[in-house]
Amino acid sequence: MRYERLVPSLVLLNVDGVECRYGSFKVLENVSLSVKEGDFVGILGPNGSGKTTLLKSISRSLKPYKGTILLNEADIYSLKGIDVARQMAVVPQDTTIGFSFSALDIVLMGRNPHMSRFQMESEKDLAIARKAMELTNTWHLSERPINELSGGERQRVIIARALAQEPKILLLDEPMTHLDIINQLEIMDLVKNLCVNEKLIVLAVFHDLNLAARYCTSAVLLKNGKIFSAGSLDEVLTSENIKSVFRVNAIVKKHLVTNSLFVLPLSPQKTSPAKKCSIHLICGAGTGTALMKILLDEGYSVTAGVLNVLDTDFETAQFLKIPVTTEAPFSPITEKTQKANLAMMRKASTIVLTSVPFGHGNLQNLRASIEALEMGIPVFVVDEVPIESRDFTNGTATALFAELKRKGAVFVKDQNELLSLLNVSEEKMRLAKEAPTRIFNHLKPGRSHEESDITFKPEKAAGGTEK
Amino acid sequence: MNQDEVESAYFRRTSRWKLIILLLILALIVTVIVSLNVGYAPIPFPNILAILAKQIPFLNNFVDSSLALPRDSAIILQIRLPRIIAGIVVGAALSSSGVVYQGVFKNPMADSYLLGVSSGAAVGASLSLLLGAGFSLFGLGLVQVAAFFGALFAMFLVYNIARVGPKVPITMLLLCGLAVNFFMYSIVSLLEVIAGDTLHSIVFWLIGGFSNVLWSQIWAVLPFIIVGTIAAYFYVRDLNLLALGEETAHNLGVNVEKVKTRLLVFASMVAAAAVSLSGLIGFVGLMVPHITRLVIGPDHRILFPASIITGAIFLVVCDAVARVIATPFASTLELPVGIITMLAGAPFFVILLKKKKQSYAL
Repeated sequence: MRYERLVPSLVLLNVDGVECRYGSFKVLENVSLSVKEGDFVGILGPNGSGKTTLLKSISRSLKPYKGTILLNEADIYSLKGIDVARQMAVVPQDTTIGFSFSALDIVLMGRNPHMSRFQMESEKDLAIARKAMELTNTWHLSERPINELSGGERQRVIIARALAQEPKILLLDEPMTHLDIINQLEIMDLVKNLCVNEKLIVLAVFHDLNLAARYCTSAVLLKNGKIFSAGSLDEVLTSENIKSVFRVNAIVKKHLVTNSLFVLPLSPQKTSPAKKCSIHLICGAGTGTALMKILLDEGYSVTAGVLNVLDTDFETAQFLKIPVTTEAPFSPITEKTQKANLAMMRKASTIVLTSVPFGHGNLQNLRASIEALEMGIPVFVVDEVPIESRDFTNGTATALFAELKRKGAVFVKDQNELLSLLNVSEEKMRLAKEAPTRIFNHLKPGRSHEESDITFKPEKAAGGTEK
Repeated sequence: MNQDEVESAYFRRTSRWKLIILLLILALIVTVIVSLNVGYAPIPFPNILAILAKQIPFLNNFVDSSLALPRDSAIILQIRLPRIIAGIVVGAALSSSGVVYQGVFKNPMADSYLLGVSSGAAVGASLSLLLGAGFSLFGLGLVQVAAFFGALFAMFLVYNIARVGPKVPITMLLLCGLAVNFFMYSIVSLLEVIAGDTLHSIVFWLIGGFSNVLWSQIWAVLPFIIVGTIAAYFYVRDLNLLALGEETAHNLGVNVEKVKTRLLVFASMVAAAAVSLSGLIGFVGLMVPHITRLVIGPDHRILFPASIITGAIFLVVCDAVARVIATPFASTLELPVGIITMLAGAPFFVILLKKKKQSYAL
């Protein structure tokens, strides 16, 4: 695997060509990775991809059908359980405990691999347990019965037990399942510190890709029991990988504050039937971002412009593969771009204008909308913010807005109303196609939807619809 | 409580454990002596002590022989003492196997009879009672021998049915135990139907009791119980770890399958030996470990020995009650101790459970 060449020396844990089966069903196939001191490896993948199985085979619970797992060059399945337990601790998914031991008892059980059969816990054992409990902020719970603790408290006690084992390798199987955000961050910070300062190897199964991105030094992405990608986070956590493994579109970026990758999954594409209507968005500064995704999901074909390169809406459009008429960054719209945009608009059956602020740079977009109306293309204006407060042109934009209204643009108060009205026009388009003679009557700009023969009637008609 | 107090309290725990064991042993001795006094023939305490002291080398020189009458000596040493020792042995055995079963199964509702020990013994005993019990081996009657091997056979059956490859999943054991128990009890019912005159002795054996216990019978089962119990004691800390779940116990260095198998074999052997001596005395193996856990906590290092002594005390007391409770009505009628354990145990158990249920998760 690519992973191996990253770490030429100091190898401690070596998984080599492991294949695991439940009965005859292959759960893991040809999985290899090398992990060295101080590595924090995230094991990622969808449900049933073999993450937990991989941890089980490493923790000596499920002997691989093929392949070996070497701990400092010794096959862990030839080592004694207690010798492995001195070096490796596991925080399991299921933490129910049979009897009501106190939290301290539970943590002290982590000392078991270091004690002989009839030895009682020494002061040293207690000191180690106490330190582990203080680190996980559970010492104050030490005398409470474990069954009375909340899920998060119990989880922290279990992590303290793992630390009391004084392991060199820590395996975490979705350790954050029961924890709230602050506990997640505290525990992960703690584990990260141990990883860095004590040179611990940490292998953790994560469902939360962002948590993984924030703390791991590297990652293994599993798909159907095979390694799909392994290596540094930048290599593994790409939107292409996430798309092919999790079947989810996601935006992956470096976060400005944490400087770690962050993953923003988008809800899976809705399977709305494709619509005939194509929509051209006039937007900018992020006002069109949400709408682009919604309109695509609804089945419309979408174009946009004019947008400056580097504008948020431009980046979204790039991501969603929406055709855009672009202008150079931070530059006013030139004659040439304006023409290109109008050409694009002519192909659209509807124009939607978002609540974008207007300055001298993008005033042309407003003029383009008016031209569209004059060409007979209906224009919908999402009027969420009063134009006066987003007019940075000393009234020019406001005046153009009034003109838009006059010429019959449909003003809507928000996205929902817009979508309803678009559906109505879509329906009209369909009917129009069936009876071509009606087409102009029904799509004639300026004609209110209330007069139409479609039985859609919004509760409150958008201001200025009637003329 | 501040932090250092928690630590020192933790270390005081060891001496607290020693104290618990000491007090329980004292209680057992007192119980035995009081229980020796209980019975149809009145024998005062000084005489009882004299008779006992006479049995001990060196001490016997100081005993006033007039207190140790031969008739009383015979009653104490040949009738009452064997019963009491049998009560101690069986009570201790059922409790020790009960602790082990509950620990291995992670379930406080498990008991010594879970893996077919009781039903197997019942089949063996009923069958031998039906065929006639003339034969004896090492001082044991045929009934005892048949019960012992019946119990081991049933356990062997359960274990092998439940085994999946090299592993023995707990749920499989529980369910197979249930199935085998039902099957065996249906055989017992069948034997009862065709028993005729021996029905009474079969029913009596099934309830369990100590009437007519002989020293030789006690000596015959004692080695199994002592060896099995001591062997199980080696694994007390593993029992603690098993409470965390088999996977976690494994990750903490316990060889789970090996420990589990050994513990179940030891516990079943101990239970089988006890059952062959006394018949089926119910509830002790379930309740004594349970009650002891409610009082002193779940740590098997103290729970195991404390349950053993508590079980011994409990059964000796129950047997004393069984001997006298019916005397006002009919001087020769003796209730089987099995009835008393049930009658006394169940309400007490419910009270404890209700009282402590908030700190007790099933």
